[in-house]
Amino acid sequence: MSESGALTVARNRAVIMEELRRLMPGAGGLRTALPLGLPTVDSCLPQGGLACGALHEIVPAGERCTAAAFGFIAALLTRLPQTRRFVFVLPAYGQRHYGRLSGHGLSALGLDPARVILVETAHRTQTLWAMEEALRSGAPAAVSGIIDKLDLKLSQRLHLAAVDCGLPLLLIRPAHDLESSAAATRWRVGTAEAARDRFGLITRPRWHLHLERVRNGRPGEWVVEYDHVAHRFSLAATLADPAHARGASQKADRQAHCA
Amino acid sequence: MLAAQAKKPTDKPIAPDEPFVLTVAGAGGPRIAALNGAAEAAGLAPGEPLADARAKAEFLQVRAVDTAADDAALHRLALWATRYTPTASPYDEDNGADGFFLDVEGAAHLFGGEAQLIADLAGRLQKLGLPARLAVASTPGAAWALSRFHPSALFVLPIRQEAEALTPLPVKALRLAPDTHAALQRLGFKTVGSLLDKPRAPFAARFRAELLRRIDQALDRVDEPLVPVVAPPVYHCLRYLLEPVGTQDAIVALVRRLMQTLVHVLTRDDAGARALRLSLYNVDGAVATIDIALTMPTRDTAHAARLIALKLEALAAMQDTGFGFEAVGLAVTRAERMVAQQTEFTAAADDGDRTERCAALIDALRQRLGEASVRRFEPVASHIPERAEFLSPAAAETTAWPATEEKTRPLLLLPRAEPAEVTALVPEGPPRRFCWRGATYEVTGAQGPERIGAEWWREPYRAHACASERQPALTRDYFLVEDASGHRFWLFREGLYGRETAAARWFVHGLFA
Repeated sequence: MSESGALTVARNRAVIMEELRRLMPGAGGLRTALPLGLPTVDSCLPQGGLACGALHEIVPAGERCTAAAFGFIAALLTRLPQTRRFVFVLPAYGQRHYGRLSGHGLSALGLDPARVILVETAHRTQTLWAMEEALRSGAPAAVSGIIDKLDLKLSQRLHLAAVDCGLPLLLIRPAHDLESSAAATRWRVGTAEAARDRFGLITRPRWHLHLERVRNGRPGEWVVEYDHVAHRFSLAATLADPAHARGASQKADRQAHCA
Repeated sequence: MLAAQAKKPTDKPIAPDEPFVLTVAGAGGPRIAALNGAAEAAGLAPGEPLADARAKAEFLQVRAVDTAADDAALHRLALWATRYTPTASPYDEDNGADGFFLDVEGAAHLFGGEAQLIADLAGRLQKLGLPARLAVASTPGAAWALSRFHPSALFVLPIRQEAEALTPLPVKALRLAPDTHAALQRLGFKTVGSLLDKPRAPFAARFRAELLRRIDQALDRVDEPLVPVVAPPVYHCLRYLLEPVGTQDAIVALVRRLMQTLVHVLTRDDAGARALRLSLYNVDGAVATIDIALTMPTRDTAHAARLIALKLEALAAMQDTGFGFEAVGLAVTRAERMVAQQTEFTAAADDGDRTERCAALIDALRQRLGEASVRRFEPVASHIPERAEFLSPAAAETTAWPATEEKTRPLLLLPRAEPAEVTALVPEGPPRRFCWRGATYEVTGAQGPERIGAEWWREPYRAHACASERQPALTRDYFLVEDASGHRFWLFREGLYGRETAAARWFVHGLFA
């Protein structure tokens, strides 16, 4: 066979492959957004959910809110397909302060701990490298982690890595020392009184979500509760302050609430 | 074929041209264990008492033998010699501990034949300052004998001529114990030949089994297994360089090419590499080895090269390249069955492919961050929360998490339970207010207790126990408490009032989402 003939065969082969991939259900159909399942919240996000290939920042509202931030991430991850792994990049030095992730705790939130890969890093350079490595490998369904300091340049780099691979990167940043970043969204997660059943037992955790910044979307503030069995978010209905439930559209209310 | 090399005892030359001996403590004072050329010229011989030697040679430099350092040096040299063949075996004590065997079967042709191989080896040893005597023969015994007693320093014995070659050599060439050797001398057996044509039965009756075993080993009648200096790899590939290299990029490029060579063999055998070893042969004789373990068998050239690059970065091994590396070897030290897979078609969505990518990610993270830093949760059948799971090295395949009955477990568990000051309305009741890490929390809702008894079958353990305390472990009552702003904590009271303790202590153990 001549060289050009071989080339033609190779090209035809590539075309057929492409066609087959397109026809096969599920194959190559990359998910573009991760909806929370709450129309009120999803309508504020540009793609009707958290963009998959993007960096999302989650800021604990207070010193003791790290657990709530982790809880929100775990809840978001349960809404992703459960066939792939999740990577958590956690610096070793932080765990003395806020504790370490517990498998049984994740399991109690509905996330399969067997799917979690924990990466322990010694310093920030390693943390950033591990996150980018995990994103670029394309192996996990999502990458999340905690970082103590992030400047615009580094966040751009992480964001680009997330965009290239179409994977969400959910990053916890401490509330102090917030520089501007390239993240698609910034959530401030605070605690809220949990939902209880009629015997007074805690049934579902609640979080105070404040979508502070969102590119091409509307910021908002809600109190959501999370059902770990159904993997479902819902708005906390029985709340004293109605400003939460009405959401972001009523800016005056929110400002009043903030004040 | 085997090559044996006997190193001439010229260690630690203080003034190399003056007589110099190493001594070992013996009967009636120190005796000469090894000596240099000048000492030999002065008429000294190994085994001579040091006092006599001092009388013969005027300026005799004396040092005690350091056998540990000798062994270490021999080990290094044997490692260095793995450039010729993976199976290098340093001499043990019976063999004199002054050289090594190389199993060059199947490796000699790479150097153009056995004669060229030992000529190359001799040349390189000479450059390292080690004059050597080398011989190639079918058995280690024959090679050992010829390397010591053959008139020429380099000698290759054709196959099946061991008997003829050994005949003129002295009996000592059979590696015998000193008393056996002395007895043979007394009986008038001077050469190996004089033993070979005699009937065996009288020897068996008169001497220990050693004598006949050594004869049989030398003549290839019984096998003599060699103990290699490093476990011989399953697959092995080595490249010599015209110019030494020292940069990381060059090494990674070489690894890529070596791996490409190995991949052909691996594919043929349906095998994949689970562990790789990179050997870097420095010009000055040192050998640096880098071991890499893989999560899943692989035949991926790019993956192997990348892992090596990450490891080199992490080790910063490139700081002490010295004059550079003149040879680079890549070995598959552990291979596992790996079935050929269709990789092109379902590249994006296939599950197997994802497992592979996951394995690649785990490998890469491990090389840079260390073995212990990539982990996964592993459940343990224990009620004590801090023991209910442990972190084991991550694997490519997931293991199922047991579906247990629903329990309240916090998302974040503190590394150690931290003491808290608690005010409770009733001693056995839930906390009303507690102080932890310098902040006071008003409890608005509490849930519990969940009583977790101590594991009496284990070592006594208390949350706050010091190592010296040997008190029985106490029962814990866990409460999930929520404060006014919605923070949820996991507190426990250690000890049952009245039964286990008079003043129970409280601890914060975890944080709920």
